[in-house]
Amino acid sequence: MTDLRTEEFEINMGPHHPSTHGVCRLLLTMDGEKVVKVVPYIGYLHRAIEKICENRTYAMCIPILDRFEYVTAMSCNYVFSLAAERLAGIEVPERAEYLRVIMLELNRIASHLIFFGTTAMDIGALTPFLYALREREYIMDLFEMTCGQRLTYNYIRVGGVSKDIPEKFIPQCRETIATITDKVEEYKRLLNGNPIWKVRTIGIGKLDAELALAYGVSGPILRASGVDYDLRRDDPYSIYDRFDYKIPVYQNGDVFDRYMVRLDEIQESCKIVAQALDGIEEGPIRAKVSPNFKPAAGETYTRIENSRGEMGVYLVSDGTKKPFRVKARGGSYPHLQLLPEVATNCLIADLVAIFASFDVILPEVDR
Amino acid sequence: MGIIKKLPVYSEKIPGGGIVTTSVEQILNFAQAKSLWYLLFGTACCAIELMCTGASRYDFDRLGMIFRASPRQADLIIAAGTITKKMAPRLRTLYDQMAEPRYVIAMGGCTIKGGPFYYDSYSVEKGIDHIIPVDVYIPGCPPRPESLLEGCITLQKQIQKRKLGDWQEK
Amino acid sequence: MTNEELKSYIETNYASLLTHNEAGKYDLLFIVDAANLVSVCEKLRDDSELLFDYFCNLGGIDTTEKFEAVYNIASTKKKIRLDIKVILPHENPAVDSVQTVWPAANWYEREMWELYGIHINNHDNLTRFLLHDEWDEGYPMRKDWDAPDFIRFPDL
Repeated sequence: MTDLRTEEFEINMGPHHPSTHGVCRLLLTMDGEKVVKVVPYIGYLHRAIEKICENRTYAMCIPILDRFEYVTAMSCNYVFSLAAERLAGIEVPERAEYLRVIMLELNRIASHLIFFGTTAMDIGALTPFLYALREREYIMDLFEMTCGQRLTYNYIRVGGVSKDIPEKFIPQCRETIATITDKVEEYKRLLNGNPIWKVRTIGIGKLDAELALAYGVSGPILRASGVDYDLRRDDPYSIYDRFDYKIPVYQNGDVFDRYMVRLDEIQESCKIVAQALDGIEEGPIRAKVSPNFKPAAGETYTRIENSRGEMGVYLVSDGTKKPFRVKARGGSYPHLQLLPEVATNCLIADLVAIFASFDVILPEVDR
Repeated sequence: MGIIKKLPVYSEKIPGGGIVTTSVEQILNFAQAKSLWYLLFGTACCAIELMCTGASRYDFDRLGMIFRASPRQADLIIAAGTITKKMAPRLRTLYDQMAEPRYVIAMGGCTIKGGPFYYDSYSVEKGIDHIIPVDVYIPGCPPRPESLLEGCITLQKQIQKRKLGDWQEK
Repeated sequence: MTNEELKSYIETNYASLLTHNEAGKYDLLFIVDAANLVSVCEKLRDDSELLFDYFCNLGGIDTTEKFEAVYNIASTKKKIRLDIKVILPHENPAVDSVQTVWPAANWYEREMWELYGIHINNHDNLTRFLLHDEWDEGYPMRKDWDAPDFIRFPDL
């Protein structure tokens, strides 16, 4: 066997590939089943969102930015509105803040459910996908009754939110979060003890805290590597300081821990939503903002904790009704950049698991 | 496909041969319309709605539609999401790799005319119908799962109306 | 450390290197010379009072008279945040790479080079990755950029 000649060869994974979660191309150099080198190629979904925003009014930017990260479009709405409010010094009414928190957290749950379903499917279990999307539909129902859309909401506007919640929202929302809290326990029972799942996830794709920080990793991936950093607490925005919730932190930094952080986060988000539903009071839902409002000249970098890590907007205003520059920063961008560091010298099947556990979504990378 | 295409030419010369043509036509059309396997081709937002349509609540399977990861096994390509100039040649390649007869559904505003990225975008292809021929257009940004189901049923109806002589390479 | 304390700390310890700018609303914005950029970034990262270990974002800005590159950095240990801006000429803009300080900057710099045409000195892989391979129409994010098939939004 010693004189068996082996050769390295290159294969393309993507841009059309079911486990790249969009249109990402990975150029892999393989030695048998082992990945020797990974080079990600992006830009297959580069839609020039930043250029488009420069020629729209602030109100018109929000639906465009919905498409920047469509799995959690509420966060995109929110981060842009927050940046514009900070530039213009607008105070948001109390009820609007509560509604925003409820929507943001519900959207975080929806996003993590997609992660759970697709990751399990990539690793080879189809059932969790059907379970997760079943539960996600309940959240979609809530969004639909509030703003009429399932995916791109345009709900959170500069100065507040666009519409008040209907009457039956609160009882239905309570029911939904109770169901989801239970179902997450069921998911854990379904997968955590499964020997195949354990072999495929525990110890795979180890990422230590130092490397993660150097590469600007944020969100659940950073917390799975043992760094306790969550912008909801550490760079406070909105009214998150009023709620009692834990920030799940795991130490090993492998695929399993990234999955556990997200499942725990679903449960914590449910807690936040329940508290917000208790605390919400009647009142106005939007501050008076003209559709052509002009914030003062200035610039700000606003960031929030999204389900995929830090989502930020660098907003430059020159005092006119159009933003001068909008630079959107998505959490997946540094994560995809990090992929070669983590996935080199692993098996190709593990590469798929690692890619799935990063929960990369390509519009956030390409914009 | 050659034999099927030529079948009407021979059978209609025989008295009563039209029955053969019609029956073969009906069987083939029925089989094809009720087992449209679609290519898992999602680029952007519409892909999430495509996933939802395939999952528990809306359940694509009841139309006989199952997703395939390889274009060689697929009859239908649902172009879900924005096609950029960088992606356009890849879409054409995937379409060329599919076996005849093949169908295309353009899902969402972006694939019809660029959608919200029509103005001011330097990298978005303004509509996919100058890359590949489209059978059904579904407007929406993104279209709801119900619209997608409606679009697929429309395509099935189109297929069932097809005559044997119409089978030709696009 | 609050923003006020951070501002006074930087103004006392980095007086010759960083100048405060009023344009930064809500956050602190400091201007740095392009020549000092890498050394200042290294100091900010290693300063035991600041520990800016986390690179958030880098964006180019075209103000039509000059180019600006804004580095948004944060500290996960001290929970503080800072923006640093470099001002570059409109003719042949070039800036040093900070990827030796924060490896995360690699792709952001590549993107800035690709979309704005700001050259990055000492960058290890300055190749095209967002635009398609045959792109030869210049730098699309510049304000004066135009192309024959580029459709502008009607004036508001």
